[in-house]
Amino acid sequence: MSISRAPGRGSLLQDVLLPFLHKGQNEDGGWGYRQGHRSSSEPTCWAIEALGNSQRTGDFKSAIERGCRWLSQMQLPDGSWPSFAGQRTGSWVTALACLALYERRESLDRVAQGLLWLCKERPGEGGLWWRLRHQLSRRRSLVRQDSSLVGWSWTPGTASWVEPTSYSLLVFRNVPEQLHPHGARNRRELGERMLYDRMCAGGGWNSGNPLVYGVAGEPRVIPTVWALLALEGHSDRPENCASLGWLERNYRQIRGPGSLALAYLCLRAYNRPPLDLERDVKRLYETNHFFRDTLVTAWASIALGPQSKWVGAPAK
Amino acid sequence: MRDANHFVLPSFDRPPSRVAIRRASHYEDDLAALISETLLEFKLPIQGKTVLLKPNFVEADAKGVINTHPAVVGAARESFLRLGAQKVIIAEGPGHERDTEGLVEMIALKDYVGPLSNTFVDLNVDDIQLVPTRTRASKLKELYLPETLLNSDFVVSMPKLKTHHWAGVTLSLKNMFGVLPGNCYGWPKNLLHWAGLTRSILDINSTVRPDFAIVDGIVGMEGNGPIQGTPKSGGIIVLGDDPVAVDATCTRIMALVPERVGYLANAGLLLGHLKEDKIQQLGESVTSVRTPFQVLDEFGRLRADA
Repeated sequence: MSISRAPGRGSLLQDVLLPFLHKGQNEDGGWGYRQGHRSSSEPTCWAIEALGNSQRTGDFKSAIERGCRWLSQMQLPDGSWPSFAGQRTGSWVTALACLALYERRESLDRVAQGLLWLCKERPGEGGLWWRLRHQLSRRRSLVRQDSSLVGWSWTPGTASWVEPTSYSLLVFRNVPEQLHPHGARNRRELGERMLYDRMCAGGGWNSGNPLVYGVAGEPRVIPTVWALLALEGHSDRPENCASLGWLERNYRQIRGPGSLALAYLCLRAYNRPPLDLERDVKRLYETNHFFRDTLVTAWASIALGPQSKWVGAPAK
Repeated sequence: MRDANHFVLPSFDRPPSRVAIRRASHYEDDLAALISETLLEFKLPIQGKTVLLKPNFVEADAKGVINTHPAVVGAARESFLRLGAQKVIIAEGPGHERDTEGLVEMIALKDYVGPLSNTFVDLNVDDIQLVPTRTRASKLKELYLPETLLNSDFVVSMPKLKTHHWAGVTLSLKNMFGVLPGNCYGWPKNLLHWAGLTRSILDINSTVRPDFAIVDGIVGMEGNGPIQGTPKSGGIIVLGDDPVAVDATCTRIMALVPERVGYLANAGLLLGHLKEDKIQQLGESVTSVRTPFQVLDEFGRLRADA
């Protein structure tokens, strides 16, 4: 099934998106960012989630199992996951891999090792040497943030950013505490405080710079979605309300299907789902066929399907 | 296919570079004619080749001042096709915005280049190869590079004329940050900052080795660039076969001194020509189009009158 096929009057999810994901699985069991590309961790995690979340899980059982197997094999000896096969160091995708495997109740020992890596891995700005240099630097006042509040980085040893921090918080919230390593609670609390510290004035998040050279940074949809999902346990806090308000006000201006699907997921998790998702996704699909992108197709499939377990799950 | 084993020539061993400055007041001008006519003067070896245009698409921008204007990108694409390129790909890996499709829709790229499905490539999620850096200026010893880039024959850096709050100016060399895939380096590509921002620029350019540069200086940005600065009308497009020489020329047009921009000074030793006497100027002279750009106090020393 080609994703180029027009959805017509049928169901975009059932007729086009899920078959595209199913057919796009590589021989090795993983998924590439685009059909025919080499398998990578992130699209594999989301393709597993999308197929597993659909009401046709039975049809996709074998594909999901093969995907989980590929993902399990990708884990590095230190417990982390790399973005691509062959990369020697783990990264931000570790949280996504743990979430995908846990949701399918696969390889729980590997999930526990991944969580241990996440707990041990500290961003670069948390170190004593960095803090000393930062204090002495003439540029320290250029970016407004509390550097003692560390979250998670995209790559080991670099700074904390909103999205990787949100992914890690989401996995710790979903996986039961019996699997959490020592120190997880402290890391989670620090991560949550870091996210609130990096919120843009008036609500919403960008990648993690709310203020540079005295100028307010603009929020962006995708980081706002992840931060709100990660902080869903504090839904009554004024920061959450302001950020939800920003997302709702900007929902109708969204031009990318990935952003639209994620924004919908988030608003649905907060019991404020916008109307006409399928119509909007179809319209965007007809524009560029999602660039045949596995990740966007998976996010759209999750949004069009039933509410995922990992969204809105209470802290255990 | 790009040659991964090229040598980095010291600048004293290079022939003079050529840089053309052309006046263009508005994005509605016939930019394709202007760019085609100028490219003819360079006699570029692009017949039957795959050309990759790397614009600077950063994030959605209501004022139209952050990103390379799609009219310039469309005109460049049309020009390379007119000159015999077999295929012209537009490729970018935005550093701040994960929703690349949303970004290119927001800036209406397809209005200028037609359907994007087979024309545009999101470098953030392309297949990659690990390539050793050709210089060792930063802590990076190897780079993950997108295969679309490695498989192209001719790479054109297409930045916006802007100041930059960390690097001083951001032009065709700094623009090459965008070829590194976000799925390896993150959003933003923070690893490059930790490896040394200005030194990383050298390593990326020595390894990727862009063949040509076209700078959108019709409207640039001054002050707190590359995102939060102020629009500045420059009224020019600058083109050249040596990205270092193009950046040096643009810096002079902005009434800044390229030798005082750290990474440009270093690039002038190994990657191209910085000195005016090694740059053959075509079209307008620097003096005739000079437009002083404001910089943050931090970069006051870059000003020619400092």
